[in-house]
Amino acid sequence: MFAEAVDKATTQANIPKKEIEAVFVGTFNPEMLIHQGHTAPLLLDYAGLRGLPATRHEAACASGAVALRAGIMAIESGLYDTVLVAGVEKMTSVSTNKATEALAAAADDEFESGVGLTFPGVFALAAVAHMQKYGTTQEDMARVAVKAHKNAASNPLAQFQKEITLEKAMTPKYVAWPLKLYDCSPISDGAAALVLASDKKAKQYTDTPVRIVGSGQASASMDLSNRTDLTTFEASVLASKIAYKMAQVTPKDIDFAVVHDCFTIAEIIATEDLGFFKPGEGAKAVREGTTAKDGSKPINPTGGLKAVGHPVGATGVKQAVEVYRELIGAAGANQVPKHNIGLMHNFGGTGATCVVNIMRRADA
Amino acid sequence: MSEQPTLEAYKKNIQEGKYKAFRCTKCKAVIAPPLGTCYNCGNTKMEWTTVSGKGKLVSFTIIYIAPDEFAAEAPYIVGIVELEEKARVTARLIGFDPNKPEAIKVGTPLKLDYEKGKSGKTYLAFRPA
Repeated sequence: MFAEAVDKATTQANIPKKEIEAVFVGTFNPEMLIHQGHTAPLLLDYAGLRGLPATRHEAACASGAVALRAGIMAIESGLYDTVLVAGVEKMTSVSTNKATEALAAAADDEFESGVGLTFPGVFALAAVAHMQKYGTTQEDMARVAVKAHKNAASNPLAQFQKEITLEKAMTPKYVAWPLKLYDCSPISDGAAALVLASDKKAKQYTDTPVRIVGSGQASASMDLSNRTDLTTFEASVLASKIAYKMAQVTPKDIDFAVVHDCFTIAEIIATEDLGFFKPGEGAKAVREGTTAKDGSKPINPTGGLKAVGHPVGATGVKQAVEVYRELIGAAGANQVPKHNIGLMHNFGGTGATCVVNIMRRADA
Repeated sequence: MSEQPTLEAYKKNIQEGKYKAFRCTKCKAVIAPPLGTCYNCGNTKMEWTTVSGKGKLVSFTIIYIAPDEFAAEAPYIVGIVELEEKARVTARLIGFDPNKPEAIKVGTPLKLDYEKGKSGKTYLAFRPA
């Protein structure tokens, strides 16, 4: 899986493997999922890159994006010209219960898991706060799922390539009220890879390079009880402000975004935190089709974590690949109409880590 | 109770039904759940304090799919409660009907209690005041 992703990333970009100078790997919890630590050099064995400096990066569900940031910093420092960034997670080798337990390690163990709060439960707390403050409904959240499945139906890499009806998304199979089965992203196996290069080197590889023009990372308390407002994820707000400032753009300039919809409510809140819509108006944007693939602010045009899958460590890298493909106009049936500037938003655990990257086609 | 409070003792107090929070020795901010550093002034010295037990509901969820340890208790309600002393804690909610979630309102006044779980653990809990 990892070798296949690396192979596709390098061959599609016409980059000989021997030009790669270092490897940055995002994986979350292989210790509990496949009983294996120290995964970075192991993965190089599979990908035929033995010998290179390889480091694993972990920030729960944002592991992929922090690996990507490490790659960005390595290029920006001038240390390397060409690096590989890859993410991988194999989650189905263990039972669903065991996988859930592995995921729970991304939340606060002592004070949240200790009273029986679960990972979906934490996002349910955010959902209830949003519902009671702004009037967001379970149907609004279900519409996020319907949109995700609709977009994923034409994405050959998606885990679920089938549309669902609103009625089906509303099936009252509660996981943590008010979140139901269709509000949750699935347990997935997956890998993603991309090549980062310095400006000079990128021009040798391609006529259509995409630049990462802004990158921000921030953190928040692990424990939700230590946050003052549950209707927003403050790390998303902070990380996006840093990224916007670096890129010298505003939320209005972003043509489309790939956001971290581990749960449907997370997408609604992310579109508010990133400044696309006012606080409390994220649900309205879904209802009115603003965030649809052909809307004025497409969100997750390829299907999001919800329908493409959420192989934890791979997700942040996969998001960057999705933004890249949309930007260069290679997203096929999932292509958005305007594609000069795109944004990716990847967050870890219950929003304790957030990375926002803004990417722009070099000719745009 | 003059000794430096520990996380272990914090949890033991809950098991014994004698909840106490941390308090910063410098700015007197009440800290719960306990961290090593006061999130108000940055001081690292803490002391024990009792709390009034009054609070209000910040948010809640009803857990249907629970980890093995708690599965026999599902569905159960977990909420975030803001204490009168301003600190917030995650706790079980009792005295509400898990089958009528629409009736549970953010802002509801609560009082501190405990719940003995089937897991054998005693949880910090709150019920309607």
